[in-house]
Amino acid sequence: MSRAAVGAPGTPRRYLHSLWLLSARDLKVRYATSFLGYLWSVLDPLVMSAIYWFVFTQVFKRDVGEDPYIVFLISALLPWVWFNSSVSDFTKAFKKDSRLVRSTNIPRSIWVNRIVLSKGMEFLFSLPVLVLFAIFSPGTEFGWGILWFPVAMALQVILLVGLGMLVAPLCALYADLERTTGLILRALFYATPIIYSVSNLPGPFETIGSFNPLAGIFTLYRMAFFPDQWHLDTVLIGAVITLAIFVLGQWVFRTLERPVLKEL
Amino acid sequence: MAAAIEVRGLGVQFRRNRRGRRSFKDLFASASRRTRPGEFWALRDVSFDVQPGESIGVVGRNGQGKSTLLRLVAGVLLPDEGSVAVNGGVAPLIELTGGFVGDLTVRENVRLTAGLHGMPKSEIASRYDEMIAFAELEEFQETPYKHLSNGMKVRLAFSVVSQLDEPILLVDEVLAVGDKAFRDKCYKRIDELLAEGRTLFFVSHNERDLRRFCTRGLYLNKGALVLDAGINEVLDRYNSDSMPQA
Repeated sequence: MSRAAVGAPGTPRRYLHSLWLLSARDLKVRYATSFLGYLWSVLDPLVMSAIYWFVFTQVFKRDVGEDPYIVFLISALLPWVWFNSSVSDFTKAFKKDSRLVRSTNIPRSIWVNRIVLSKGMEFLFSLPVLVLFAIFSPGTEFGWGILWFPVAMALQVILLVGLGMLVAPLCALYADLERTTGLILRALFYATPIIYSVSNLPGPFETIGSFNPLAGIFTLYRMAFFPDQWHLDTVLIGAVITLAIFVLGQWVFRTLERPVLKEL
Repeated sequence: MAAAIEVRGLGVQFRRNRRGRRSFKDLFASASRRTRPGEFWALRDVSFDVQPGESIGVVGRNGQGKSTLLRLVAGVLLPDEGSVAVNGGVAPLIELTGGFVGDLTVRENVRLTAGLHGMPKSEIASRYDEMIAFAELEEFQETPYKHLSNGMKVRLAFSVVSQLDEPILLVDEVLAVGDKAFRDKCYKRIDELLAEGRTLFFVSHNERDLRRFCTRGLYLNKGALVLDAGINEVLDRYNSDSMPQA
């Protein structure tokens, strides 16, 4: 009997192999089943950007002091779409594939991580939009701050993996949490410096706002175009909270893995 | 030689009703031996060894823990006490059609499922034709999986999983589906696998199948392992137990 396999079960190589297969499956399903395919990952942030740009610069004539505002918006909206779509997929991470989880023995954390990976790929695919707007918007600055971009991505991956390990098993056990998560996400959109910047927050809210790890991460994303947005406290607090969520997520996941498997 | 499957003091608890209140205290409670109200042991204190090449039939009435035992051996359920050690990989024929995605084509699904079980790309490529031929789906390779008939789905699943190189084969009542011609083909395939020296772990209500494939039987009743003996002895005991009380 020939024993051909990609690494033994439990090895990192096998883990990456399975992770990649499932993420590629997600992308394939997404892009193979609809005409608009690729456009979907770009259209959503684009329409949102257009709306906020119109409301804030044309209707209220009250910009946040950042020019060009459209670049300011898109540079945080694209990562927000990554965050938002990942977290809303976490709520059904186990349910959607319950039959596969019930029949195939692969490390359970893959069900979370494959969402982070496939949504992350979609984020990368959507970056050309940001590049186009940066090139064609007059007055865009561009600098060495771009080096913070990969750092921001790494932090966001850690944050998302931690949150996924937290949200996915909890949602599988407590059905109410699925809707709660949706509500929290909607509130979080306005509580996060996407359409405004951290320094726009009045008084005590500036401090409270920096405890939102996304504030620090989005600040880093914007460094390439808006170096004056640098906010050391926010970035440091964001990084610490990101790591804390990651550790908490690992613990919760390990504790809840057993009941989740029984529940499916 | 090391045992293929080693089960020691295995126990797993389920909640009796799904709507039972689940408290956040569960988060902090370790899986200890105490029984909380509303929970019951689906399996308890089950121990046995399976040697490589053995073929074992699991017998018992509905709801006595047969499929639970299989899921524990497959590693898709974790025990609350005791342990399951499996030497080598497992090809699970449980939840047969579970791993497939409706929107992807037959071809993409085969690559995905075989890949998830660790089969490298080159190997999949070289066995692909054989799998499709076995499932008799030559005409449907580019058809989205969701458009296949139920019988075709089962055929595809069986043919992919039975091509895996894993030394242990788990079969959970899947052979009841499919038409007679395909069932005969499946039996032949299982015979071949047994002849190659694979270990078979078989759950079925069909006495003929059990006597045909298995040499040893495990009789489960109310979550406990009642009898571990030759398959004929186990089946006789099971039959006499399930006789209506005259």
